[in-house]
Amino acid sequence: MDALHFFATSWLSPELLGLTALGTFLGIYVGAIPGLSVTMAVSILISFTFSWDVNNALCLMVGVYMGGVYGGSRTAILLNIPGAPSAIATAMDGYPLAKKGLAGEAIGLSTVMSVIGGFVGIIVLALAAPTVSEFAITFQPRDYMMLGVLGIMLVGSLSGNSLAKGIFAGALGLLIGTVGLDPMSAEERFTFGVVELWDGINPVAVMIGMFGVSEALHQLHHMDKAVVKQKISRIIPKLSDVKKYLPLSLQTSFIGVIIGALPGTGGDIAALMAYDHAKRTTKNPKVPFGEGAKEGLIAPESANNAAVGGAYIPMLTLGIPGDAVTAVFIGALFIHGLNPGPMLLVEQPQMFWFTVGNLTLANIFVLIFGLTGIRLFSKIVECPKGILIPLIFLLSIVGAYAINNAVIDIWWMFAFGVFGYFMRLYGFPVGPVILGVILSSLTDENWRRAILTESGSLGNFFAHIFTSPLSSVLFLSILLIFFSKTSLWNKGLKPLLFRTKQKP
Amino acid sequence: MSSQLSSQKVRKPGERIFCLLLIVVSIFLFWQAYQIAGFSSLSSSGAFPLAASATMVLASCVVFVNTLKLPAAEGIQFFRHCLPPVVSIIMAIILLYAVVIDSLGFILSSFVFLFVCIQLLYRRSPLFTLAISIVSLIVVYIIFRLVFQVVLPEGIVPEREIIAQITSWWSN
Repeated sequence: MDALHFFATSWLSPELLGLTALGTFLGIYVGAIPGLSVTMAVSILISFTFSWDVNNALCLMVGVYMGGVYGGSRTAILLNIPGAPSAIATAMDGYPLAKKGLAGEAIGLSTVMSVIGGFVGIIVLALAAPTVSEFAITFQPRDYMMLGVLGIMLVGSLSGNSLAKGIFAGALGLLIGTVGLDPMSAEERFTFGVVELWDGINPVAVMIGMFGVSEALHQLHHMDKAVVKQKISRIIPKLSDVKKYLPLSLQTSFIGVIIGALPGTGGDIAALMAYDHAKRTTKNPKVPFGEGAKEGLIAPESANNAAVGGAYIPMLTLGIPGDAVTAVFIGALFIHGLNPGPMLLVEQPQMFWFTVGNLTLANIFVLIFGLTGIRLFSKIVECPKGILIPLIFLLSIVGAYAINNAVIDIWWMFAFGVFGYFMRLYGFPVGPVILGVILSSLTDENWRRAILTESGSLGNFFAHIFTSPLSSVLFLSILLIFFSKTSLWNKGLKPLLFRTKQKP
Repeated sequence: MSSQLSSQKVRKPGERIFCLLLIVVSIFLFWQAYQIAGFSSLSSSGAFPLAASATMVLASCVVFVNTLKLPAAEGIQFFRHCLPPVVSIIMAIILLYAVVIDSLGFILSSFVFLFVCIQLLYRRSPLFTLAISIVSLIVVYIIFRLVFQVVLPEGIVPEREIIAQITSWWSN
């Protein structure tokens, strides 16, 4: 009963309801406008909202997240430019549909399927999180440490094309997170005698730099891309279509939740895997895949919204972010004095059910805003980059300043913005950096706790890993990711083991 | 984000130097991490930074070696394709903006920033740019300063007096 009461908190308060609606609305546009990303928007929003009441801030940010994941599909369909990485798979069949003049139908169908996916994700979150969290209480410090490393490894290996670059980025993030006074012994680390560095480098400044400034700087390369206009007529999808594709949508939603719940994998991978699933299971598509098959549109759209609910599971129960957006979210929760982890559900069940209620509400707003306001939408998306990009810079700077009302955070933001620009330029992923910064203290503290309980012996530490099934699984997963990405596997073992598999 | 996902099979100009710099910085940080507590114990405050920076040194060396193996990209110039003038100019303008925002205040510095950037990137008549800058500055100011209550540097514009003046007019 209490759960229902907490669930309804944001439904009954006009203020929270309004903020969720506003967040979702903003999120759809942020997701849709190429060059603006959800990660960018949430990082900038944290800095503006951290003096707010925690409920208000969460309503706005949950809305932006939910709306943003959906919004990316809009431009993928209309312009063949995925507004967000999770919409890359959507463009493959969405754009061909738009070229046939079916843009309205494609948008309508993708909206409904996104919402269905979103609900599946939320239901799984509500059912699974309490169990996972009970299980998580039994985790040893070494398990947390390995979970942290695993998350960074997964993001590092999946988001870039080179594992070494991903590992470098993750280790750099971990190192940035250690700057300042050590929380356990109050020793100075990397402070170079500067008192301002005692508090460390603010993760929000790093986020805004890496995701806001560096991304906007890269956009300067493509200033003169022409905008293609599409005519949109009917947007409400046919009921028969929804009924026909419902089974596929539900299947791919479950894929989405599972992928989303794994640490390190988010909506973009969920969408690609769902697309692949649809391609394999649809025996005789009416239209071939890649030429405007509705199956190819529905699968990724259901999956990437379902992944949102999935991503919340490790975030709320373990305190381990699944991807860059949830890493930013965890940063927000910490700033508001909440401690995501196994104790959250025990100590603050109201926060958990409030979030579930909030996600549900945001999902409903996606449906409402998704099926209306298409005229306004096409106007806003045509906003020229020459005006948009200076505004992103302005908001980034104001956002960095607003964290502590200090100019030093602007400098950090700028430095990480320029550094992030070169990292992106040379193919280094920036996601692991943020994940590293967020996970740094968790990994550090748990490593030290773990090694202290083994009385400082590395031998005992490794020996005990294999006495616990969970630790063994985590340890082997880390090794597996590492070796599956190195040349030893690709050149030596893989051809031996999978010789029969021919590339189509 | 698409730039992250595109596969890279050639070496861009400047990539070797960037990777070499990463090694140098990583080694420096490793040395700094060693200074915290040396190799005293595995649970010291320096152990984790040492491990992280050692990983950075190793990873950056691997990246550097891999980069050396790649063939150089043809027809790509550093100052045309990697760091075009517009990017460096905008970086410089942001730097300047960050320097003056505290002394000049948010309103004045942001207005100049928006005007210069939009004029540079959008290339319409100055009058049009002026209008766009003023409108967007007003919107940003209302949303963040008045609605979100974000504290912004005031600088030389007597903002509070102006707001107090307006509210007193309003109430009359």
